Amino acid sequence: MTSSVDPISLPQRPASNDTGIDREALARLLVEIARNVDPDNHALYEGVPAADHRLERLRQLLVGGEISELSRVTHLLDEPEQLAAAVGNVLPDATARASHMQLGEALAPAVERAAQRSIQKNPHILTDILYPVFLPAIRKSIGEKIDQTFQSLNESLRHIFTWHGLKWRFEAWRTGTSFSEVVLKHSLVYRVEHVFLISRRSGLLIAHVTAENATSEDPQLISSMLSAIQDFVKDSFNEKENSGLDTIRFGELRLWSEVGPFATLVAVIRGNPPEELHDVIRDALLRIHDESSQALEEFDGDTSQLPGVETQLQTCVELQHTDSKEGFPWLVVTAALLIVTAAGAWFFLSWQAGQRWQTYLSRLATQPGIVVSEQKIGGGQFYIAGLRDPLAVDPQSLLPGTEVDPARVHSDWQFYQSLEPEFVLKRLTASLAPPGSVRLSVVDGRIVAEGEATTTWINRARTAAQQLSAGGPVFDISGVRDVSAEERWQAYVSRLATQPGIIVADQTVRDGQFYIAGLRDPLATDPHSLLAETQVDPARVHASWQFYQSLEPQFVLKRLTASLAPPDSVRLSVVDDRIVAAGEATTAWINRARTAAQQLSAGGPVFDISGVRDVSPEERWQAYVSRLEKQPGIIVAQQNVRDGQFYITGLRDPLAVDPQLLLAGTQVDPARVHASWQFYQSLEPVFVLKRLTASLYPPDTVRLSIVNDRIVAEGEAPDTWIDRARAAARQLSVGGPKFDISKVRDVSPDARAAEHWQYYVSRLEAQPGIIVAQQTERGGHFYISGLRDPLAADPQALLSGTGVDPARVHSQWQFYQSLDPKFVVKRLTASLSPPKSVQLSIIQGRIVVVGEAPAGWIGRAQAAADQLSADGVILDVSQLRELNLAELNHLREAIQTTDIFFSSGKVVPGPEQAPVLDRLADQLKEFAENARKAGVTARFMLTGHSDTTGRETANASISAARAETVRALLNKRGVAPELLQVRGAGTFEPAVPENENSRTGNSTNRRVSVTVSLE
Amino acid sequence: MLQKKICMLGGFAVGKTSLVRRFVQSIFSENYLTTVGVKIDKKSVAFPDKTVDLILWDLAGEDDIGSFRVSYVRGATGLVLVVDGTRPATLAVALTLRERVEAEFGAMPFVLLFNKSDLTDRWAIPDGEIDELKQRGWQIYLTSALSGEHVDDAFRQLASMVAK
Repeated sequence: MTSSVDPISLPQRPASNDTGIDREALARLLVEIARNVDPDNHALYEGVPAADHRLERLRQLLVGGEISELSRVTHLLDEPEQLAAAVGNVLPDATARASHMQLGEALAPAVERAAQRSIQKNPHILTDILYPVFLPAIRKSIGEKIDQTFQSLNESLRHIFTWHGLKWRFEAWRTGTSFSEVVLKHSLVYRVEHVFLISRRSGLLIAHVTAENATSEDPQLISSMLSAIQDFVKDSFNEKENSGLDTIRFGELRLWSEVGPFATLVAVIRGNPPEELHDVIRDALLRIHDESSQALEEFDGDTSQLPGVETQLQTCVELQHTDSKEGFPWLVVTAALLIVTAAGAWFFLSWQAGQRWQTYLSRLATQPGIVVSEQKIGGGQFYIAGLRDPLAVDPQSLLPGTEVDPARVHSDWQFYQSLEPEFVLKRLTASLAPPGSVRLSVVDGRIVAEGEATTTWINRARTAAQQLSAGGPVFDISGVRDVSAEERWQAYVSRLATQPGIIVADQTVRDGQFYIAGLRDPLATDPHSLLAETQVDPARVHASWQFYQSLEPQFVLKRLTASLAPPDSVRLSVVDDRIVAAGEATTAWINRARTAAQQLSAGGPVFDISGVRDVSPEERWQAYVSRLEKQPGIIVAQQNVRDGQFYITGLRDPLAVDPQLLLAGTQVDPARVHASWQFYQSLEPVFVLKRLTASLYPPDTVRLSIVNDRIVAEGEAPDTWIDRARAAARQLSVGGPKFDISKVRDVSPDARAAEHWQYYVSRLEAQPGIIVAQQTERGGHFYISGLRDPLAADPQALLSGTGVDPARVHSQWQFYQSLDPKFVVKRLTASLSPPKSVQLSIIQGRIVVVGEAPAGWIGRAQAAADQLSADGVILDVSQLRELNLAELNHLREAIQTTDIFFSSGKVVPGPEQAPVLDRLADQLKEFAENARKAGVTARFMLTGHSDTTGRETANASISAARAETVRALLNKRGVAPELLQVRGAGTFEPAVPENENSRTGNSTNRRVSVTVSLE
Repeated sequence: MLQKKICMLGGFAVGKTSLVRRFVQSIFSENYLTTVGVKIDKKSVAFPDKTVDLILWDLAGEDDIGSFRVSYVRGATGLVLVVDGTRPATLAVALTLRERVEAEFGAMPFVLLFNKSDLTDRWAIPDGEIDELKQRGWQIYLTSALSGEHVDDAFRQLASMVAK
């Protein structure tokens, strides 16, 4: 480049044609370029043709791309829809990238207008949106306002009637504020001791400010713990609200927290803060958020990013209010004193008069035996009414000395008997007239008598004490010693003297001891036993008795009775001091009695035996026989006396008296009696009754008795008993007494049904696996409910044979699973289906599983055991052995690798396959047998396959046919057909991949394969 | 003042509280763990240029992952995962807890402490398993609350990780 070229100045003119190209300028430019390339080029600019297609071409080459892009953009800008879509794509991102400040300013007017418009159009939408935000704020604000009101009300009430209350009223009136405000101002004493600013996200401490002299533990830990507790409360009570714990109060200490978007401000306040303090704290938090919103949001634990926060907090800590000392209110005190003095003077006189009257009244009140029931003062007169004991002081006599004018006193006294001890004492003294040796006194409200008195006086005193005991004072006479012991002794001695067989020879009293001596018949009453009734102390009695035989008739009678042992037929008695024997006796006894009478004659009473008749043995025998004949159930047929021997024959009922027993006491010598009794059933009602009682077992509700020779049964009995009684009555009807059972009421069928029902219920209760929860009988119907194991006996089936009408039974059974081992075994057998090689048995309440089983089954049994153990049932699977399937697996391998092959298009294997089939059949049989022994069932799937030649449908049917054929062939070789299953796989499961170009197909794929499964 | 919220996570009775008891500043009793479910302690780690206060949130150990209060982890910048070296199951618990935390709050630095290293005869975590975890680039320490072995190292390491 050797020459410099002046730039071509491009004329500023519009394009000459609609392509918009300044052709002339372009031409000049091109010439310029040409010259620059080749300085020798002398092409000249000689005007421009109006149109030149080459230029158009050039333009296309140079800026074709830009033109199309430009037109696209132009189009985009011109089409509002497309422009909107394009801007919409980038708007969110653009907004996010825009400077927050500028964007906010730019958007603010539009957003404001939009919100305004939205509210004008439909205020509800915006309300709904903002509702969750506003509601908590409003709620909290209202809450605080109410607290504030209550606080002010409390304080107002507390101070309303106090002196400083008056002062504050004046202050309120003077300053024009409300009274309650003034009260709050003065009464709320508090101090903000700490302020914590805590990051809401991490709970880390942003800033902490302490008031003077206030201490606390590590603020970092405290702030984290505070936020943990906030989380804890929020999580624990599922609180969704975005606020924190508002207030924590601990005695004098309160924690108030205000929650901001990024930080929580917690103020620790000691004392009684006004509710307005919330506003102050909230304002501080708002200011902090305003100033350092971003720093707060990004706070990562580095407090240096947030300088100046502490000064904001400091304003909170400085908040406090302490009450000032007040001067003593002299003026008010003086005024109050004046009023009190004036009032005092005004009331003094009347008070004095009243006071004197009261003195009189109190004097009366202290008087025993006077009860004032009513008193009043009216028009300067005194009225009094009440009761007075005649023994009490005269009320009138008490007036002097009280300065009460007796003329102004109007009394009305009723007499009564006071129970005050003094008066009772007086009255007792008057009524009991205690002897000089007794002293009565009042001790602690009780009347105590002490001294010595006779029993009679003591008894009178005791009666008086008993009368007093109702409402009166206690009259204690335990201190009075009874001095009438000697009197009682004398009474005893005189009583002894009247006793037959006892002769008192001497008796004296000396030093409180009693001495007595004398004679006593051994048959006489024991003197000592007589002592018991006399209240004479036996320890003080010293008796000395000599035994002697009294000749008094009673004693002689006793001795005779003892020595002569008179037979029953002889009666001894004392008649006019003589002892008289009357009756019948044997000669021997009469002789003995006579001897005794002779011995007695010297000094003793007369023993008169003339009234005893001598009876011979025959007479006694006859007496015995006639006695027998009177006995019911005994029939004497014949009797005679021969050679001093007695013979008797007859009938006797087994229930009648034994004739032998009657012999005793008759003095007939049993050795000389020869009896021959035949047993018979007496039809005498007494015996029939006995027999019926023995045979019918009448229930307790039935009473049998004999009425006019008829046996009558009365009461209630079940129909079965009545039936039996009726049968007995029929048997008796022949010759026997009438057995009347018409008075036995049949127990109601309902009761019988109830009995049957109870039987059924007890039967159910005895059933294992059935639990009767409730059963009732109502209106002839029976209701029962409870639990039953599905495996237990059917309650319905148990009804049969109980006599309960099934139609009247309403049962409600809930199924449950009984934990009775028997039921558990049943269930286990059903659910686990144990293999045959396994046996379940119950040993001592435990279920024991013994045998061999596959591992899978053992696993299931173990799981069942675990489940059952939770129910307390022991399922012992420890003795289970795992089944050895190794051999089976080996055999299975051999079977599954066996294939039966076929010629192309054939469904029957060639003869060369026969040995393979034979071996396969043997293996299958062996496998099935071994599996069966192991408790599992083997199944064999025969799958037919084909090669790919030919149509697919044909191949499918050939494959199935091959499998069928093999089944038939195996069946023929003794393999059970139910163990064999068949399917045709067509070409889908080739053993080797098919060669697409092969015409004959792969012979390896024409086969039947076997798969083994165990169930 | 530079502070970082750190959560101590681990299964039941892995020894978190014991680790903390001897090596940190604490004003709250262990009752907080059972009542509020968290106890807060502080461990100051001094570096030449700064001191980092680790605010340790000791969360009540739970083998039942379901009852773990995830909300306590909000705002944490690091984790101390504690495993009982004598109970392999606690490793799974610690890793599951970490996964839950990461799912909620994103990945954060952590140290993994195999505690009770003094119980050598009952140690049940194979060395191979620990090596494998180390190969993931994890910071792993065998610690003993009894002897204090490696406890300070672990906190120092975590402090340097979170204070970056």
